Amino acid sequence: MSEYRKPLPTITDENRPFWEGCREGKLRLQKCGECGHIRYPISHVCPDCLSYEFTWTPLSGRGEVFSYVVFHQLYNKAFADDIPYNVALVQLEEGPRMYSNIVGVDNDAVKVGDKLEVVFDPVTPEVTIPKFRLRQA
Amino acid sequence: MHPLRDKTAIVGVGASPQGKLPGSTALSLAVEAFKRALDDSGLKKSQIDGLLTFPGTTAPEEGYNYLRVGEALGIDPRYTGSMKMGGGSCGALLHQAALAVNAGMANYVACVFGDAAATGGVRFDRASGWGDSLGIWGFMSACANSAITASRHMALYGTTSRQLGEIAVACRKHASMNPNAVMRKPITIEDHQASRWIVKPLRLLDCCLISDGGVCYIVTTAERAKDLKQPLVLVSGMGQAYTTRNMEREDWWYVPHQKLAIEDAYRMAGVGPKDIDVCQLYDNFTSSVLLWFEHGGFCKVGESGSFVEGGRIQLGGELPINTAGGNLSESYMEGWLHLVEGVRQMRGACGERQVEDAEVCLVTGRGAALNTSNVTILRKG
Repeated sequence: MSEYRKPLPTITDENRPFWEGCREGKLRLQKCGECGHIRYPISHVCPDCLSYEFTWTPLSGRGEVFSYVVFHQLYNKAFADDIPYNVALVQLEEGPRMYSNIVGVDNDAVKVGDKLEVVFDPVTPEVTIPKFRLRQA
Repeated sequence: MHPLRDKTAIVGVGASPQGKLPGSTALSLAVEAFKRALDDSGLKKSQIDGLLTFPGTTAPEEGYNYLRVGEALGIDPRYTGSMKMGGGSCGALLHQAALAVNAGMANYVACVFGDAAATGGVRFDRASGWGDSLGIWGFMSACANSAITASRHMALYGTTSRQLGEIAVACRKHASMNPNAVMRKPITIEDHQASRWIVKPLRLLDCCLISDGGVCYIVTTAERAKDLKQPLVLVSGMGQAYTTRNMEREDWWYVPHQKLAIEDAYRMAGVGPKDIDVCQLYDNFTSSVLLWFEHGGFCKVGESGSFVEGGRIQLGGELPINTAGGNLSESYMEGWLHLVEGVRQMRGACGERQVEDAEVCLVTGRGAALNTSNVTILRKG
């Protein structure tokens, strides 16, 4: 098995529940304990109300393509075999947006507004990366 | 009337040679630019009592850049500092200088920038954004952020790659008339369409250059400027605004703070889009230019693609932009040459590139990951 060379997350106490969730096949983000805002990126404090109280809340894993680009230029050698590869800004059903890749489809077949659902890609024993595939509306 | 309207002047501008300059450093280019700006202003070095700098991408002293530049120039300033806002730095430093000279904290402020990005630059393999999170999915480079903007603008409003090409063609045409520009060979829409994808939907000819160079401008009060060497060029309006929340704000992709910055500048200057004779619009990527037209009220939201068609933004058109070639074709000085060209247009010193009877110039800056923006309105004195 070849070594995984692409960037990996630096797991910290703050983000560990997110990455552990992905290993278990669950997408979850922080929900503010005071104002209820579901936030991303991961943070120790709510950017809306500054509360430190939060819980990790499970998400549906559904969303849609908010914006979509395809990398033809190689910026990092670890992605050499993937060029051209796509990155989508995904609008999650519960409100937050996150970057990810759309898998299982030609790059040219994806459009802004396409419906998505999360899939999980276990790239190392420790890290499973959430990605998305097209979902029938 | 706003108390700072027309109270500040830019009295000297200078730029080092531009392009790929082996052997140069960020510091050597900054010093050369300062010498040329000082000469342009007719001031003596001993009169410069303010020094503001942008460390760029290659100055090793980073936030302490003002000390290194000051040491090299032999200036012990009354007022100084460095600020790092990417393409927003030039305007932010100008505004800071304007506040300082009008508050009496300095009389003549030199704003200085040098960068050796072409020969000694950083590699763009880092994740685009804080921390490590975005590189996990391969989201890297400044181009990627602007590609996100372009992709959604195209999806919502039907904007096309050919329309982006109109901006590249206009900037190159203007650079062809500028002996100091790095890229001077004219291009066509077809050349643009034939250039390779970088981050689709942006092509190579949608992207700015990467350049070595330095730029400097000198700021004082309008009152002091009346006695100096150059024709009077006034800072009529200034505005700034920022978005820090890339992911949390749904409209981040549309760079909404730029609209706030431009409206503040209009208010201070007492002008609107119909009063603008010439624009120097920050063009790290062609798609960035589209948004300035929408935010500045030159066209409606979503209509900038058709707005730029038909030569409107070229010299001789209704609203010429980037008359020296911009970041796309003159040199990538992160918008500092946009200000220099704006000043020269207001002096009437642009030769065959001069916009006839131009009296009001809009100069814009933006930077980081669609985070910083500022707008300056220059007026012929």
